Amino acid sequence: MLLKDKKADLVIGYERGSSKRRARPVVIRADKDVDRLIFDDTCGPSLVPFARKALRATPLGTRVAVVAKGCDGRALVQQIAEGQFKRDQVVMIGVGCNGVTDHRRGASGEKREASCERCRYPNPPVYDVFVGEPVAAGTGDEFAGVAEFEKLASADRWAWFEHELGKCIRCYACRNACPMCYCEECVVDQTNPLWLGKSAERPDTTLFHLVRALHTAGRCVDCGACERACPLGVRLALLNKRLEREVRERFGYTAGLSMEATPALATYSEEDKQEFML
Amino acid sequence: MSSSLRIAKPDLDQLVSALTSRYRLFGPVDVDGSTVLREVKSADELALGAALDGSVKAAFFPQTETLLTYDGTVSEAPSGRDKPTAVIGARPCDARSLLLLDKVFGTGKYWDPLWQRRHDDSLVIGLGCSAPLETCFCNLMGSGPFDAEGSDIMLTDIGDAFVAESCTDKGERFLKTAYKSQVQRPSQADLDKAGEARSKALASLAPAANYSGVKTALAKLWDSALWDEIALGCLSCGACAYLCPTCHCFDVQDETAPGTQQGRRVRIWDTCQSALFTKEASGHNPRPSAKDRIRQRVMHKFSYFVDNYGEAACVGCGRCIRLCPVDFDVRVVLERVIAEGRRTKDKERGTKKDVRHAG
Amino acid sequence: MSDWEPKIVAFLCNWCSYAGADLAGVSRIQYPPNVRVVRVPCSGRVNPLFVLKSLENGFDGVLVSGCHPGDCHYISGNYIARRKFATLKTALEFIGVEPGRVQFSWVSAGEGEKFAQVVARVTEDVRKLGPAKRLVKTIGGGQ
Repeated sequence: MLLKDKKADLVIGYERGSSKRRARPVVIRADKDVDRLIFDDTCGPSLVPFARKALRATPLGTRVAVVAKGCDGRALVQQIAEGQFKRDQVVMIGVGCNGVTDHRRGASGEKREASCERCRYPNPPVYDVFVGEPVAAGTGDEFAGVAEFEKLASADRWAWFEHELGKCIRCYACRNACPMCYCEECVVDQTNPLWLGKSAERPDTTLFHLVRALHTAGRCVDCGACERACPLGVRLALLNKRLEREVRERFGYTAGLSMEATPALATYSEEDKQEFML
Repeated sequence: MSSSLRIAKPDLDQLVSALTSRYRLFGPVDVDGSTVLREVKSADELALGAALDGSVKAAFFPQTETLLTYDGTVSEAPSGRDKPTAVIGARPCDARSLLLLDKVFGTGKYWDPLWQRRHDDSLVIGLGCSAPLETCFCNLMGSGPFDAEGSDIMLTDIGDAFVAESCTDKGERFLKTAYKSQVQRPSQADLDKAGEARSKALASLAPAANYSGVKTALAKLWDSALWDEIALGCLSCGACAYLCPTCHCFDVQDETAPGTQQGRRVRIWDTCQSALFTKEASGHNPRPSAKDRIRQRVMHKFSYFVDNYGEAACVGCGRCIRLCPVDFDVRVVLERVIAEGRRTKDKERGTKKDVRHAG
Repeated sequence: MSDWEPKIVAFLCNWCSYAGADLAGVSRIQYPPNVRVVRVPCSGRVNPLFVLKSLENGFDGVLVSGCHPGDCHYISGNYIARRKFATLKTALEFIGVEPGRVQFSWVSAGEGEKFAQVVARVTEDVRKLGPAKRLVKTIGGGQ
C-alpha cells in the first residue's frame, strides 16, 4: 500500500529464509512482492543496517520504508538524533514485538532471546503506520542480570570476560549487524597507526569489544543483534547493558526515545556527578 | 584392503588415547552451546553428535600463528617440532576441504612449510553424517554425507557404537597398531545399521541441483547488476569466511613491543569481505563496495579456484548459511547466477572478457 | 619482582594540569618518580583508547588530569571528558580491571602541591595493586 501510494520507494522487511525457523532481510520494490513480507519471532536481525545501506545506495529523496519492531524503531530514532538521516527519509512501519528467538537456540515459539526478556520497549517510540496490535511492555528490573553479575568478585568477572572473549574470531558480525555501529571506518580497520592488533587472541579481542562497548555507550538500544549475529555465541550485550544503566543513572539519558535530545556522550551538564575525580 | 572394526561408545577413550599418544589431537568440543574445534586429551571432551561450528582447517591453519620472532637483529622461526596432527570427528565435508586446502598450501610451485609440516603426516578420522542439516549441500558439491575422501578412517555411528573403517593405508596402519589385540569386528547387524544410516542420510538431503553451469555463467556476469542485488542481503562481515573450511586468505602483521626491538611476525586469517583486505597504501581500494567484495567471494570459490585447481572451493558444509547473521544463502546465489547467466547469453553475446583476477 | 616499581602514564592537559606539574617541579615539591607525562591539548582530547592502549602496552596505571570544571581553556572540553571518564571507568571495573588502575583528577596551574599529592596517591594505589596483568599484551613471550 505504501508502495502503491508512492509514500515509499522501497520497503525493507523480512522474508522467510533458508528454513522455517529463520527470516532474512529483504528489499521490496514492487507492490506485487509485498506478500513475501513476514513478521514473527524469527525476525531477529536488525533491519537498520539494511536501511542505511538502502539510503546510501539510492538517490537523495528516496523514501525507505522499514519494518520496525521496538528496538529497531529506537535505533532509527537514535540515528536520526545523531543526524544520520532526516525523519522524512524513512517511513517507519511499526510492529509490536513479543521477542525473537534464535534458530540455533531452539525452534520458533520456544525461548526468547535474553535481550527480549528484559526488553521494555516492544513497540517503536515513533512510527508512520502501525501494523497489528501494540505489545504490552515487560515489567521488572531490566538490569537484574547486570546486578547479578556485579555481585561477582572483580577477578571472577575478569575470568568470565576472558572466557567469553576467548571465543571471538574477529569476524565483526557483531559490529556489522549492530544498528549503531555505522562508522565509515572502524577503529579496528585503521592501520596508520594500527590501534588494535588483528589477532584472535586476547587481549586483542578484549580491546576490540571494550572499544565497541564504549563507542556504543549511551547509544545502544539493547536489541541483542550483536549476540544473535555472533556465530560462536559470545555474550556481548552484558557490558553494553551495564553502560546503558550508567548513562541512564548518571546522565538521565536513554537511547532511542527522542529524536531531539542530544546523545549523552555528545553533551554535558555542569552538575554531572564527579565523585570519582581526585 | 580396508578393515573395519566396532568401537563401543564407552571404549572411545581407547581410540582417543591411542591418538593422543602419537598425535596432537583436535576434535569437536562444546563451548557454551557452540561446537568448536579444540585440542582434546580425552574422549569425554568430545561433542561428536553436534555439527561443528568452526571448521577443521584451524587444526592445520590456525587463525593466529607466529611465523617468526625477532629481537633486534636475531630472528628465528618458532622452534620445536610438534607431534603430528590428528583430527577426530571431521565430517566428510570438512575432511574433503583439507584436500582442497592442500592444493593451495601443500602442493604446486608455492607451498607453505607450516601447512605441510602439519598436514603431511596427519591422520584424519572422519565421522559420517547420519543427520544432515537443512543447510547441508555436500551432495551438490560432488560428495556426500559418508564420502570417505580426505578421511583416513571413517566412523559411522550405529547407536551404541561406531563402526570404524580404514580408508587409506595410513588409516589401516593406525588401526592395526592401535588395536593390536582386542579387536572387535562389527557383526552383520552392525554393518546393516551402518548401511541404513548411510541411505537414510542420503535420502534426507535435498535432491541434487545442478551447479555445473555456475562457472560459465560467472564468466559473463562480472558487470551484472545481479551483484548489487546480492550485496543487499549481506552484512559484509567475515563470519562466513572464518567458518568456511576452504577459505584460506590471510594477513601478515609484525607486532613489536613498544619501546623495544622485540616482536613477532604473525599470520592471521583475513577475509575478502573486509574493506581493508584490498586497501592499498595509497588509500585507493580496488574493491570499494560490498558488491565488489561479495562478487569476489563467489568468483573466487566458483570460478578462479576452478581455473587454478580444477574444482570449486566449496564443500557444501552450509556453515555460511547456518551461521550467517542474516541468513545469506549461497545456494540461492548460485541459482540466481545460473539463471542470470542464461538470460545474459540470450541478450548480449560475448560480454567482454574479465581480465581481473583472483587475489 | 621485589624491585618492581609501578609504571604510570599521566595524560595532562596543556593549560592546567601540565602547568600544575611544572609548578610542582619549579617549587621543588617531592613526588614519586613513577609517572611519565604525556601532554595533551585538553582532557577532552584523551580518547578512552589512549587509556586502554596504555594498559595494553604495559603501564601499571593511568592518570588523566585536566582543568577544574569551569576552567577549561576550550570552555567545555573537561565536561565532555568527565562523561567519557565515568563511562570508561564503569566499563573497566565491570569487566574486572581493578579500580585504581585508571584514575582521573582536576589539577589547576596553581596546584603544584595537589599535583604532587595526586601522583603520590595514584602511585600508592597502583603499588598496592601490583603489576598490571589484565589487558596487558605480551609480545614475543610466545602464545
